[in-house]
Amino acid sequence: MNLYRPPSLTTRCRDWMGQQWAVIGGVLVVVAIIVVAHRSAEVFRVTTIEEPGWEAFSRAHAVAEFGDDGYFVRAVQHGYNLFFYTEKYAWRFTRKRAGDGHNSCASCHTVEQLAYAFVNSDREDPALQRRVSFEERVMRCYAGQMDGFVPTRYDPAVRDLRILARMVARHLNLGEGALRDET
Amino acid sequence: MLSNLFRIKWVRISTIITLLAGFYFAAVVAHQQRAAQREQPVLLTDNCRAKLSRYGLEGGEYYRSPYRRDPGTMVPVRRGYSVADIRAIERGCVIIDDLQGEQAQASIERWNATRFVRGQQTSCDHCHQGVGDKQGADGRPQIGSLSLGASWVMADMYDRFTGLLLPFELRQMQCFINSSNGFKPNIADDLIRDVTAYSRFLSAALDLRIGQRYPEQGIDEVTVSQTLKRGDDYVRGEALYRQKCARCHGAQGQGLRQDGRTLVPAVAGPDAFNLQSRNNFSFVSTILPGFICRNMPLGEEGSLEPQQCRDIAFFVSNLPRPAGDKQGPLRAAWQQLMMHGMPPLVGLMSELTHGTGAP
Repeated sequence: MNLYRPPSLTTRCRDWMGQQWAVIGGVLVVVAIIVVAHRSAEVFRVTTIEEPGWEAFSRAHAVAEFGDDGYFVRAVQHGYNLFFYTEKYAWRFTRKRAGDGHNSCASCHTVEQLAYAFVNSDREDPALQRRVSFEERVMRCYAGQMDGFVPTRYDPAVRDLRILARMVARHLNLGEGALRDET
Repeated sequence: MLSNLFRIKWVRISTIITLLAGFYFAAVVAHQQRAAQREQPVLLTDNCRAKLSRYGLEGGEYYRSPYRRDPGTMVPVRRGYSVADIRAIERGCVIIDDLQGEQAQASIERWNATRFVRGQQTSCDHCHQGVGDKQGADGRPQIGSLSLGASWVMADMYDRFTGLLLPFELRQMQCFINSSNGFKPNIADDLIRDVTAYSRFLSAALDLRIGQRYPEQGIDEVTVSQTLKRGDDYVRGEALYRQKCARCHGAQGQGLRQDGRTLVPAVAGPDAFNLQSRNNFSFVSTILPGFICRNMPLGEEGSLEPQQCRDIAFFVSNLPRPAGDKQGPLRAAWQQLMMHGMPPLVGLMSELTHGTGAP
């Protein structure tokens, strides 16, 4: 008489999972990272949300000269959102929240200052004793003043601020190295 | 004996650690050498010396360019340049004028520029003539001359070829990959930053304003409406090429090199721009004809009709040249075969029919 009883399916599953826990755990971690990463997919959306003040800003700076819509205008608008609502649009790179003081670029700068900084960038910084680009300045702001993290140079959080600065510089008719009291 | 030694675990581990440390220190030394080289005064080429001196590049708190776009106008005072800024501008100028380091002192490669270039011929100033700032006899910028200063002020705009808001740095990277048939530098590479510094200086010297269009920017494209609407013709193009271009570029577009220097760049063959370059469109092109009409032949710019430029460009675009990095290994192999197999065959045919071999 054969006394051997094969283990039930539940038991076999439990044993197998017991042996493979490291693999299953790893897969779950990867899946979790993918899910979290895709949660932030809206950061890279091609359309932009119209925040308060955009309409007036757009009219005052003649953004429509570049068209009503299009990649450049959207980037300018995203730059505007980043500049005035940093905690909302660059949340990945700042620890500042809506209730904090000095939580956006606009807390310290005006867009005109941004434009002048852009045309005077890529120059030697005596304090650092090396040449510093506009993008690096923005990255430093995120890490320092915004008490956050450094985005890459390619990130829209950097690129669109540069494009906003470029658009304002165009509106102010600035050239390379323009000074505030240009004569 | 040695194999026995390597069986001991700590010997294996310490060998690996020693090797890694060796690589690390070699990289540190190379980096320090490169940094030290960048601190040295820049040996300017003749063209750069003339260009920068004409625009009054000097250190100081303020900068005012002596250039006048129109009589009676003055370029406003700008922020001045430090010694480090000036060195970056000078390096950028030399890179544009002499990418291959043909005029460099001794055998030191200048700032590793040729790491990103294949072949010995390509140089930025072949397309960006006049060291990126070509001007006519009247001293005004040449229309459609790919001016670097004018490109800088219009950077970041939507680019129809890539579908990107194309930064100036990324455009330079494309030049290295396609027009120089080479490799992509990092966006923050010193090479890219130096060329950007020079381009920005040009825009300051010429008093160009951010986001404005200037005639010297990019290419003055030749559209079909400007032509006789006879279609682009390979045979007409070949005849025109032989008549107008072959005396410098060679019958098969291979360029001319003498004493280790490129006198005339190749427009076909292994040393030319590759299939992915914007210069190259095998069927319909408006860009290369635009360049030819406004910038060629040297000294006789503007002497060709739009239809002639289209025909020449059509012929040149169909000459064999390297494949781009997106065209796959089969196309690359085919292009290699054509580049190396066709010239001797064409030369032989020419000798049989006309009694003279094509150079």
